[in-house]
Amino acid sequence: MDEVTIGWYIALAAILFSMGALGVLVRRNALIIFMSIELMLNAGNLLFVAFARHLGDLDGQIWVFFTMTVAAAEVAVGLALAVSIFRNRDSVNIDDMNMMKG
Amino acid sequence: MIQAIAPFLLIFPIVGALINGFFGRRIQNTGGPNKGELVSGWIGTLMSFAAFGVAIALFLALRNDYGPHIVTLFDWFNVGDFHVPWEMQIDRLSSVMLLVVTGVGSLIHIYAIGYMHGDKNFARFFTYLNLFMFFMLILVTGSSYLVLFVGWEGVGLASFLLIGFWFDKNRKIDGVYEGVLNSNASRKAFVANRFGDLFMILAMSLMFWTFGSMQFEEVFAAATHGFEAGDKSLPLILTLITLFLLLGATGKSAQIPFFVWLPDAMAGPTPVSALMHAATMVTSGIYLLVRSNVLLEIVRESGYELFGLVTTPELVAMTGAITALYAGLIAMTQFDIKKVLAYSTVSQLGFMIAAVGMGAYVAAMFHLVTHAFFKALLFMGAGSVIHGMEHGHHHLHDHGHGHDDHHDHGEADGHHVVAAAVHGHHDESSHDSAVVTHTAAAHDDHADHHVEDDFDPQDMRYMGNIKKYMPWTTTVYIIGALALSGIVPFAGFWSKDEILAHASFNFNGGDGGWIFRVVTWLLTAAAICTAFYMGRQLKMVFFGHERHEATYHASESNRHMVAPLVVLAVLSLLGGILNFPYFSEADATASLGHYAEPYESCGDGKIRECFSGGHGDSHGDDAHGDADTHAADDSHSDDAHAEDAAHGDDHSEAHDYGINLALEHWLEPALQSFELTEEHIVHLPHTAQSVQWRVAIQSTILAVLALCASFFFVYRGFNSESRKADDIDPLFTVPILSSFLTGMQRLPLDTLYMGVLRPIFNAFSWFCGIILDWDFYHDFVHEQLIRAPYLWFSGFVSKTLDRGLLDGGLVLGVGKLLRGFSGIYKNFQSGYVRNYALGLFLGVVGLVLYFILG
Repeated sequence: MDEVTIGWYIALAAILFSMGALGVLVRRNALIIFMSIELMLNAGNLLFVAFARHLGDLDGQIWVFFTMTVAAAEVAVGLALAVSIFRNRDSVNIDDMNMMKG
Repeated sequence: MIQAIAPFLLIFPIVGALINGFFGRRIQNTGGPNKGELVSGWIGTLMSFAAFGVAIALFLALRNDYGPHIVTLFDWFNVGDFHVPWEMQIDRLSSVMLLVVTGVGSLIHIYAIGYMHGDKNFARFFTYLNLFMFFMLILVTGSSYLVLFVGWEGVGLASFLLIGFWFDKNRKIDGVYEGVLNSNASRKAFVANRFGDLFMILAMSLMFWTFGSMQFEEVFAAATHGFEAGDKSLPLILTLITLFLLLGATGKSAQIPFFVWLPDAMAGPTPVSALMHAATMVTSGIYLLVRSNVLLEIVRESGYELFGLVTTPELVAMTGAITALYAGLIAMTQFDIKKVLAYSTVSQLGFMIAAVGMGAYVAAMFHLVTHAFFKALLFMGAGSVIHGMEHGHHHLHDHGHGHDDHHDHGEADGHHVVAAAVHGHHDESSHDSAVVTHTAAAHDDHADHHVEDDFDPQDMRYMGNIKKYMPWTTTVYIIGALALSGIVPFAGFWSKDEILAHASFNFNGGDGGWIFRVVTWLLTAAAICTAFYMGRQLKMVFFGHERHEATYHASESNRHMVAPLVVLAVLSLLGGILNFPYFSEADATASLGHYAEPYESCGDGKIRECFSGGHGDSHGDDAHGDADTHAADDSHSDDAHAEDAAHGDDHSEAHDYGINLALEHWLEPALQSFELTEEHIVHLPHTAQSVQWRVAIQSTILAVLALCASFFFVYRGFNSESRKADDIDPLFTVPILSSFLTGMQRLPLDTLYMGVLRPIFNAFSWFCGIILDWDFYHDFVHEQLIRAPYLWFSGFVSKTLDRGLLDGGLVLGVGKLLRGFSGIYKNFQSGYVRNYALGLFLGVVGLVLYFILG
């Protein structure tokens, strides 16, 4: 009972992922949405690490590095976009970003 | 042969209508205005003449065989066991109608070429004329009530189109565009006719329900058979059928209660008035009733009385007689030249309907034919006068005020008519009050009132002494008027006298009952009215003194208009020989030139041999042989007469043949009630067995007296050169003094006229015009009894049913339902990514749950 089994990790990852997903769905602020996305990615990373440890396989650990890299790149591009939009519109509310809407 | 050529009756007119309908405007506008018009007009006219040729050929083909020929064109429709083929029935009755319709119609086509000259819709007019001809021929040739009804509705349509032909006239009358008035008139005619048609449909439905057929022959055979077999319910059903047929006929033939549309129909161009509203279309009701003679006679024989009062034939007779007198009275009070004729037409149709009701079917057809001749003549003559007046009026416009010495006339009339030019009964009847008011202001403003647009070329008060300017028109018009009045040698005398003689004979010697007595009196009174209003019209239009400047510039109409008038005048003169009294073979060599001869040569004791059409009771055993002999012997002479009349030739060729009651012998095989009388199944009222001298002399004397009276009283004092025309009613300027003074200056007779007869006449005409016709009939009956419930009902249908239930409930309801649903669905398509992502997320959750739990 004292041992932290794989189930705990999965539960924590599910909670983190749900919080991230909820954030993406309900928040309007672009920055918070980015943070929520990070939360979801990190929930995935946590699962990778946990299963790598559980299965005694390093592949999962290596995947995490790739994920973090991609996430960093994404945030770099996304934040650049957000800054640029903020300059134009004085707002990072995603509902205002409807210029491309038909 | 009949089978082969009969369809061409219908083909020619419709081809003409199609050509002018599709290419007319192009034809009309090519080759200069006059030439194009002529081409377009003659296409229509030649098509009409071609139909006339076919009618003559059919007529000749029917000389020796009189049985009805059924020409099947195609299957119209089949519903279960109910088959309706499109068939034409060519028999002697329809051939008479065909000759009248196509013959008079063709002449009117020619006339229309002249009359419509310069109209921008010339080709459209001829399209409609040919279309009308097409439908009228369907009506006349149909072999069943259903096919007849197609033509019945079709002529209603053509009538509607033609009455409203000038719907775009933009002259204003009393603040309303004339075009609007015209189209109102056409709608009125259409709607009034629909009322009659409703009853036609009822009659046909009842017929189909009872007999399972609407074919003339089958219905008549079934009715006769049922009657012979003693079917108890048959009299009631036939009474209803004939009642509905009568009401249908009153719509189309403009009888009480549906006659109101006909005077308004005068809004159409005059050729239309002549063609449809005098000569052909309005006679279709007569034709319908004559065609249904078997049904009427069976009802008469059964003696079934409606509400225990009258049988339907008696009702028919009463309707006709009352209408004849009533319309005759109104005609005496009219000032519009065409409206006099319109009411006269209603009156004469009343004569025909009355004749039908008394069982004098041949007399009705005879009067129909002669009336077509002289009424078409009168209408077209009136059109010619109107044309002349318009011409004179244009002349005035072009050349200033005209001569000084005429100025006074114009001045007076210009004022005189300010109020009176307005159409409608009110104004016509209230003319005298307008006169009272005009005099004070008349001399103040010396402007050109007389050439203002108040001028109405149809108002007889503007006319006078037209005989000086339009000699041809005057001559033919007088012939027509004498024919209509029933003066001896002219066509109208013979036909009207035959009806009167029939009525009189049956109440004196027959067993006709009180109905015949009343009808005789009513018709005699109507005949007096006829002579009076025609004399009044002649006096006002053609004689006396010019009363308007335009009259001085009136000119004779062109050849296209005068030629048909002359032909019709000859027909009106000679039309009487169509149904000349029977004349034995031995006397046949006597000259036909003397119209009175058949009467005279018969002499005293021999009158019985000269009886007019004694098929009432002189038949016995050899009835059929009798009829056959007649057919063989008479066919020759019948044709000769009728053809002569139709062509307007001199009738000298007819000298070789004996005189017979031509039309009666011609029609007898087509009217089954004659045959049924011979078989003693029904009993036609007796036709006079001898010349009814008393009736003939009495009606002639009355007519002559009425004519003289009208010439004596109407516009008395205005035909002398010494009197100025603006002294229109000196009597009315200073009511008491002036009448006294003028009374002293005049002859006592004048005083009598001015002081007594004239007020009486005015009061009477006011009564007829305002109370009887306008206020009671138009306002009360039509406004209150018909219009108000109709408006209520249409309001109910439109507001409650249509807009409320259909629109609100059904149409809009579906829309609302859809909008509600779409309001829900549209939330799924917000365009926000997060909403789609939510969907995606929920879907994934759902899938995961499914895979985990399921």
